[in-house]
Amino acid sequence: MDAAAFLQGSLQAYLSVALLLFVTGLGIVLARRSLLVQFMGIELMLNAANLALLAAARWRGGDPQASVLYLFIIAVAACEAAVGLALVVALFRHRATTDADRADLLKQ
Amino acid sequence: MFLAFAILTLAGALSVLWQRNLILAGMSLVLSFLGLAGLFVLLANPVAAALQLIVYSGAIVVLVLFVIMLLNTHQEEPAERERPIQRWLGLASAALLGVGAVGAVLASPAVEGLKAAPASAMTLQGLGAALFRDHLLGFEVAGLLLLAAMVAAVLLVKKEV
Repeated sequence: MDAAAFLQGSLQAYLSVALLLFVTGLGIVLARRSLLVQFMGIELMLNAANLALLAAARWRGGDPQASVLYLFIIAVAACEAAVGLALVVALFRHRATTDADRADLLKQ
Repeated sequence: MFLAFAILTLAGALSVLWQRNLILAGMSLVLSFLGLAGLFVLLANPVAAALQLIVYSGAIVVLVLFVIMLLNTHQEEPAERERPIQRWLGLASAALLGVGAVGAVLASPAVEGLKAAPASAMTLQGLGAALFRDHLLGFEVAGLLLLAAMVAAVLLVKKEV
């Protein structure tokens, strides 16, 4: 491995940053209890996947198909954000909590 | 430049992990997304960087902060039952996954063998041509999905269904 190229941003460096971002998001989802913070962790994991995708596209000569895929991922992420936050608000109406540990029953 | 943006991204993400105040966690998320937008610029993709800033930092984080303020849950609620073993086990397994995956990437000769092709920066024209020439159906489906998500969100937060 070439350390200087790594620090300048080689494909390996970008993939490493994407992986570290992904495991940080995973750690947030696993360790934090607030649903809203867990939601932020999910967004971070989604963005790690985007970074890996665009880095791979750059090393394939700037394929425009990857940017199209990125556009679709962003559209789906916006839908996910709207519906996920609506679910959190609906849960808060029913239980007056946003704590994942307190929302562990399916029935009232 | 790469190092600065990479550190900004990861520091923002780690700050979300440790931050007790939910509003500040959201602000750290913005920091992380700003770093990602910088990385996208370095990847010769300013279109993606602009989309990142507009959609993530602009729309999604604002939506999250809006919900935090709406529900008035600025602090994490005190734990019903402390589960220290599960929390540390979760963090440890995530860290183990990270170490293993980064090690696999760094040890892979296939990834190292890839040479950066001489690429010109992605332009809006190139993206638009690829989008409307090859993926018109997907574009329409994405629009329909956004509409469905909007209706679902309104329906879910209505007072009585």
